[in-house]
Amino acid sequence: MSVFQHDYRPYEGPTTALWTRPLVLARYGLAEAWGSKITVGLAVLALLPCIVDLVLMYLANNPAAKMLVVGGSKVLEINERFFFGVLETQCWFALVLAAWIAPRLVSFDLGDNALPILLSHPVSRFGYVLGKFIALTLSLSYVTWIPLLILFVYQSYASPVPWAMGHLGIAFGLFAGAAVWIVVLSLIGLAVSSWVKWRVIATGAMFAVIFVPAGIGGIASAILRTKWGLLLNVPVVMSELWQRLIGAPDVFRGKVDLPNAAIVGVLIAASLMCIAVLNARIRAREVVRG
Amino acid sequence: MNAMTDTIRFENVSKFYGEVLGVNRITLTMSPGITTLVGPNGSGKTTLMNLMTGLVQPSRGTVSVLGLKPSNATEFFCNVGYCAQFDSFPRGLTGFQFVLDSLMLFGMSEEDAHGLAAEALERVQLDAAAAHRNIAGYSKGMRQKIRLAQAIAHHPRVLVLDEPLNGLDPMARAESLSLFQELGRQGMHVVISSHILDEVDRISDRVVLITGGYLIAQGNIHEVRQEVRDKPMQLLIRCDKPDLLASKMFAVNHCVEARLHADGGGIFLRTGDVDQFYRILNEIAIEGAVKIEAVAPFDDNANAIYQYLIGSDGSTA
Repeated sequence: MSVFQHDYRPYEGPTTALWTRPLVLARYGLAEAWGSKITVGLAVLALLPCIVDLVLMYLANNPAAKMLVVGGSKVLEINERFFFGVLETQCWFALVLAAWIAPRLVSFDLGDNALPILLSHPVSRFGYVLGKFIALTLSLSYVTWIPLLILFVYQSYASPVPWAMGHLGIAFGLFAGAAVWIVVLSLIGLAVSSWVKWRVIATGAMFAVIFVPAGIGGIASAILRTKWGLLLNVPVVMSELWQRLIGAPDVFRGKVDLPNAAIVGVLIAASLMCIAVLNARIRAREVVRG
Repeated sequence: MNAMTDTIRFENVSKFYGEVLGVNRITLTMSPGITTLVGPNGSGKTTLMNLMTGLVQPSRGTVSVLGLKPSNATEFFCNVGYCAQFDSFPRGLTGFQFVLDSLMLFGMSEEDAHGLAAEALERVQLDAAAAHRNIAGYSKGMRQKIRLAQAIAHHPRVLVLDEPLNGLDPMARAESLSLFQELGRQGMHVVISSHILDEVDRISDRVVLITGGYLIAQGNIHEVRQEVRDKPMQLLIRCDKPDLLASKMFAVNHCVEARLHADGGGIFLRTGDVDQFYRILNEIAIEGAVKIEAVAPFDDNANAIYQYLIGSDGSTA
């Protein structure tokens, strides 16, 4: 046996708090996500409706311009229905962005077998998922609640009559509706990306996970003549939720009428399924034996 | 520092992946220095490494590294550096960023991380220009070096290297082996799995032979070889009259094989009783009939032990 001099010195300097480690992954996740020109392009595209909305809000709050363009029609009322439409539009753009970004965050790591290296650091599987989750939710925030609240603030500023205090429910609805959606979307995105290692297929699978159950639910509802099949229809479930959070008129005119508990239940169930998939797939194991 | 906090310990460790056996009933203690894991593909080497790096948890038994358990993540992972066998990296990073990210995940401040990353890259002799290029454009040898830099950058006390010599040219291999030797000599635990037995043989303080998930042998290579009593030991004796020496040796019944060296200046002898063999060789040397220049064991190396205990050629396993 060699004579060991024992003069090797491990690092004994200060270290950051353990809870900050997922932020390192989040930071590099954001860099990874936004390093693609397609991400930037999609984000810009997602902000175009907001610019249109901004113009509409300007017109609605400027009597002279309103008279000139729409002849004083009530079409340009800035109310709960208007913000519901804006929220819905932004949230579906968020789906497109999530379908593009989520696979870049997780599928690449799995496809490249990079997890063993990352998880041999003081970062747990939960920390890894949390880092990626933060990167994805921040990216989606950029096209959802942030521009939506900016629109709300603009309307409060532009309205000739005091407006904001009487419509705080809209602001809450915009934030809460977008937050629920980006949390659900992020979990679905991460789960699908952890399951499908190929990025392009993972992107397609994201849409499939949202729309295929909707189709199945629709068929089930039609055959069984029940409304409960609609619980599988994420677009319908989310529209119902957004409409109620903002306080907009019933977009389905009473045809859907899902109970709040059922809506919350289905979203929680979907989130739990995603967490179960992540738990099964995000593993440090490289090979079974070797 | 007591024995518990200076060793890697496996106590009756089994790991099953569902119904598939990873390793079974491994009891093992590794002291500082260089330990080589030897075994064919699928023998459980990587499972053993994953267990000691905390990447997988044992199904049964306990693993402790320097007295630490993987459940104590902060301290445990800061003491372990791992270089995986797969040629895989998070995408889109330069070599420097890869090492820097790794250090920040270990909790170093950005300032400290920059210094440590530069130090590690210098240690593996990856030049600064290359370090700031994207890893995707690296040669296999450079990728191996950057993985090694990542594993040593945070100054771990245990370095686990899964096939660290794969893809390296002879010069880079020699440099890596010399680095492992230096780290081992300084008192670091260096655990290596490699198929290039001839090269790791020169630097290993001990070998751990594993096959089918079971531990076959462990310890100093020469000690392990002596334990393999059913395989006659082969020795190379350099002398002026190899044929005469062979005839004298065959007079005793434990000498089972003799083969002349290609240059005619020595003979390979295989004996079933090495102690007796050395005693007789002394007597022959004293007689003066044969002038003996050198005696060296020829098959107490990892490759030979591998062949004897596991049954195939280590170089191709």
